[in-house]
Amino acid sequence: MTTDISKVITIPDTVLTLLKNACFDCHSNNTDYPWYSNIQPIGWLMAYHIKQAKNELNFSEFGAYSQRRQISKLDGIANSIKDNIMPLKSYKIMHKSAQLSTDEKSLLINWEQQSIDSLSENN
Amino acid sequence: MKNLIFGLAIVATTLAVGNSTGKSTESMNLSFRYLPISKTDYTNFTSSSVTEAMSTVSVKEILNAYLQMKNAFTQDNSTGAANAGKILEAAFKNFDKSALTATQKKTYEDVEADAREHAEHIGANGGNIAHQREHFELLSKDIYDLIKTFGGGQVLYRDFDPMVNKGKGAYWISETKEIKNPYMGKAMLTSGSIKEEIK
Repeated sequence: MTTDISKVITIPDTVLTLLKNACFDCHSNNTDYPWYSNIQPIGWLMAYHIKQAKNELNFSEFGAYSQRRQISKLDGIANSIKDNIMPLKSYKIMHKSAQLSTDEKSLLINWEQQSIDSLSENN
Repeated sequence: MKNLIFGLAIVATTLAVGNSTGKSTESMNLSFRYLPISKTDYTNFTSSSVTEAMSTVSVKEILNAYLQMKNAFTQDNSTGAANAGKILEAAFKNFDKSALTATQKKTYEDVEADAREHAEHIGANGGNIAHQREHFELLSKDIYDLIKTFGGGQVLYRDFDPMVNKGKGAYWISETKEIKNPYMGKAMLTSGSIKEEIK
């Protein structure tokens, strides 16, 4: 997708892996639906989460955001990770790889800050 | 050739003489009537100056909501800030974009798309002042850009505290010269300084 975040911002492989494991299922157009998503009410809850998530932030459509909004979103991602709001607890329970270590969190936050800095330079 | 020059010299002299008698000034005046300047020509009265006046009025509603939010933060009033967030959301909804020029519209929409989200988050997070303040920082930049483009309709100050945001520092807009810090609240109310006066 031309609006995918990877087309707009440099993402090191290490960071991309973390994003895939912890974020993309809800925050992109490439959700990896597990077998239990066919069981209700789990399926409904999941659909609700994903809808809310993509409304808030969609990495697949990141490129279509204005630069101002891209910076805001990156800031929001960093803060959410810092404050342990994201990934959601319910997601972490089912996805061990989404249980980010301190180092992994730092990696993400640093990448976010660097991306904000380089976007701001382009202003 | 000599005759031509001589003839032109006579014409020039006649004209010069004519000037001193005032006769030829009339014909000179005639040419001025065809210049496109007229006292009653309102097409040159820029429509953008009219729309700027209109959009200044509307930006005021947005600005007032922002200042209300800012003042709530200075008092560590999370609920007050949330209420102001909802008012700010409404102010954006009520803003009349039809009066804007194409360039103004582009700037406004760029700011609005972002600022509205921050207002929503602040509105939805009463009780979590730290999270609200994170959004307030980015919102303050949006509001600054908005008033630099459209005018705030009053004297405003861009204040800065280098200590907040883990040493990165943060800006805010204030209507008072007196420093009242919305990020630190009562803990360090007077921390910060004026960086810019916006008229």
